Amino acid sequence: MDRLSALLALRLKLQLRAALGSRPRLLALLLVLPGLAAFSLLGALLAYSLARAAEASQPQLTLPVLSAAVAMAGLGWALSPIVAGIAATETHDLGRLLHYPVPVATLVASSLVANLLQPLVLAQLPVVAALALGLAGAGVRWPIAAGGLLLSFALALSAGQAVSLALHAVSRRRRWHDRAQLAGIGLVMAFTFLPMLLLTAGAPAARHLVHALLEADAFVLVPFSWGARAAVHAARGEAAAFFGWAAAAVIAVALSVGLSTRLAQRLYRGELDLGEAAHGTRPATMPLPGALGALVEKDLRVTWRDPRLKALIFSGLIAPLLILLALYQGIGGPVPPGVVLAFASVSGLGVLDGNVFALERQGLGLLLGSPLSRLAILAAKNAGAIALRLPALLLVALAALLVAGPALVPAVVSIMLATQLLAAGLDNYVSILAPAPVPAAGRDRSAPGSSTRGLGAAAIALAAMAASLLVSAPFAFLAWLPYLLEARWLWLLTLPLALAGASAAYFMLASGAAGLLARREPELIALAAGEE
Amino acid sequence: MDDAIVVEGLARTFRRQTAVDHVSFRVARGRFFGFLGPNGAGKSTTIRMLTGLLRPSAGDALVEGLRLSQDLLAIKRRIGVLTEELPLYERLTGEEHLLFAARLHGLDRAEARRRAQELLEFLSLAEDRGKLVVDYSQGMRKKLALACALVHGPSLLFLDEPLNGIDPVSGRIVSDLLRRLTARGVTIFFTSHGLDVVERLCDEVAVIDRGRIVAQGTLDEIRAERALRGDATLEDVFLKLVQADVRREDLSWIG
Repeated sequence: MDRLSALLALRLKLQLRAALGSRPRLLALLLVLPGLAAFSLLGALLAYSLARAAEASQPQLTLPVLSAAVAMAGLGWALSPIVAGIAATETHDLGRLLHYPVPVATLVASSLVANLLQPLVLAQLPVVAALALGLAGAGVRWPIAAGGLLLSFALALSAGQAVSLALHAVSRRRRWHDRAQLAGIGLVMAFTFLPMLLLTAGAPAARHLVHALLEADAFVLVPFSWGARAAVHAARGEAAAFFGWAAAAVIAVALSVGLSTRLAQRLYRGELDLGEAAHGTRPATMPLPGALGALVEKDLRVTWRDPRLKALIFSGLIAPLLILLALYQGIGGPVPPGVVLAFASVSGLGVLDGNVFALERQGLGLLLGSPLSRLAILAAKNAGAIALRLPALLLVALAALLVAGPALVPAVVSIMLATQLLAAGLDNYVSILAPAPVPAAGRDRSAPGSSTRGLGAAAIALAAMAASLLVSAPFAFLAWLPYLLEARWLWLLTLPLALAGASAAYFMLASGAAGLLARREPELIALAAGEE
Repeated sequence: MDDAIVVEGLARTFRRQTAVDHVSFRVARGRFFGFLGPNGAGKSTTIRMLTGLLRPSAGDALVEGLRLSQDLLAIKRRIGVLTEELPLYERLTGEEHLLFAARLHGLDRAEARRRAQELLEFLSLAEDRGKLVVDYSQGMRKKLALACALVHGPSLLFLDEPLNGIDPVSGRIVSDLLRRLTARGVTIFFTSHGLDVVERLCDEVAVIDRGRIVAQGTLDEIRAERALRGDATLEDVFLKLVQADVRREDLSWIG
């Protein structure tokens, strides 16, 4: 018990230090806490009202609907280490503690108990209490119903811990680790965009699917719902059903904690050997010529191999597709050319906020330690950024073809390219003057000293967007002019002019940025490393 | 003999704390120069300033006859740098990384490939050439970073703790290589906490403590200057120079 309380005290101390030791984190916490409290109270109110209403009007729906809601919430919580990259339930670094004479089960339990005291977890407790109150009323059944709901919550927390440990195990093999990370990012994107996609294109199908799942009470198969089912039965005074579901939930929690303990034991004692990381034997290729080619190649390779950066390419594809689809649905026919051209302009802004130098991480020393001209470095990095957004360009062109016809495609491509060029030219200044420090791989992104641009990020992003749109406006106008004059043959003249003009403006911007880079290299290195 | 490095009153302050305090020294061309000091004495800060990775708060330096404040790109063409935080891209393979470093220095593809191949073989990295750097051990990373510093054939090498973390066999191979390089006129500016290595390799040392140079010269010269015995080791000299408080009291519970 002494060991457990010492471990809990250590966790709390570390968490407090992490929050208080970094001004941006403390500020973020102060901003988040009132919102979290309000969200918690609102959630409690909503949970209470919905539970009362369901029990009063359609009690037959309470079990399947609550099971579905709790199952989804539990899944979200348990998958948070994959989906959010940070676990809502933390599995503390057991590796540092294993050489002490403390049983692994105690270490796992201390992590689990320490998680109960996190603000995000505490914020769920009023919701659980209110939901139990809504189901059971203020009588003697309320604490029992609350107990059932807490079992569901405990399972979600311990499952999150098990998922964290499983991810840790997977990270022993690079390819699996990267795939897990990419899958997690894919899940986030799916969770984010699926509702929008369903609303724009498949609302009736989604309704049918939800109805079918609820009618079949399919979520009974998800263990997260078992505690909630026990709570509903407790509220209704059905003792046998309560004990049955509660016992199932307790067993699920015990199994989950047991799995975590087993995983921790095997993981940290080196018993979980997932084999050597695969590596090729073929000689490395160098398809692009010269130092500039080497830089572009490096950026493309590094981006494609880093799951987080790779995901940026895919996420760049989804937004334009959804927006055009929504427009298409909303208008109910071909989208007006003016809207498509304006959309191309906005899509070109995807190059912004690249944070290109900070993303170099430790490699920045090598890059800036090279004797390559600073204009060449910037041009190569911008070329890489535009090349990585080539799929987005093709997708926007394809979408324009579908929603507005083939005549508009060259203008759409020219406007998007011109905006990309100028946005890249302007983004150089942001990257040099305000690089957001990026912690080295494997380091905690939220650790003190690894701050981001913080609240200034939004202001910087908005300013850069406005500047890019402003600088690219004359060239977009050139591409737009034939449409306004209804003389489409003029595109033969205006499109090359727009691209040439944008290129010239880009080189002016890039030359200025190269001069700035040459003057500010040491400061940039310090800023990117979070030293200043 | 002309100098590869001439440091003139170089200083660097971080948030009111002085890391390097107006240091001045010279390093002759072709010398194996050991730059020693306790943790936090200012060794890495000095190297970062001399290689253009950190702007000095005051002072200037001549590196390979070129002024640091004016000819940084020209200096970067002539030097090779191994910094304490290894400048590596984790998502490139070892071979790709070396080729990348070679091409950044303007080597053509055939020459880059030839040198990369030789360096990988020489540093026992050939078998892991196709592995991502993120999967390299610390020692392998150190060897790869060293290979990147050497690939373009610099005339001046700044090496911050090059032998720290690499196995004894590779350590011997690297130190032999460095010796051969100095014999061919390459200047090496070298930091290490392994004083026996420094004693074995370096022609001359400078000791920095709390941002100030407290001694410079050959070991014999420093011994004579500080009136130390002729058989005093570099460790004895170092401890004396930095006025280290080596505690002798026992721990009560050890007995």
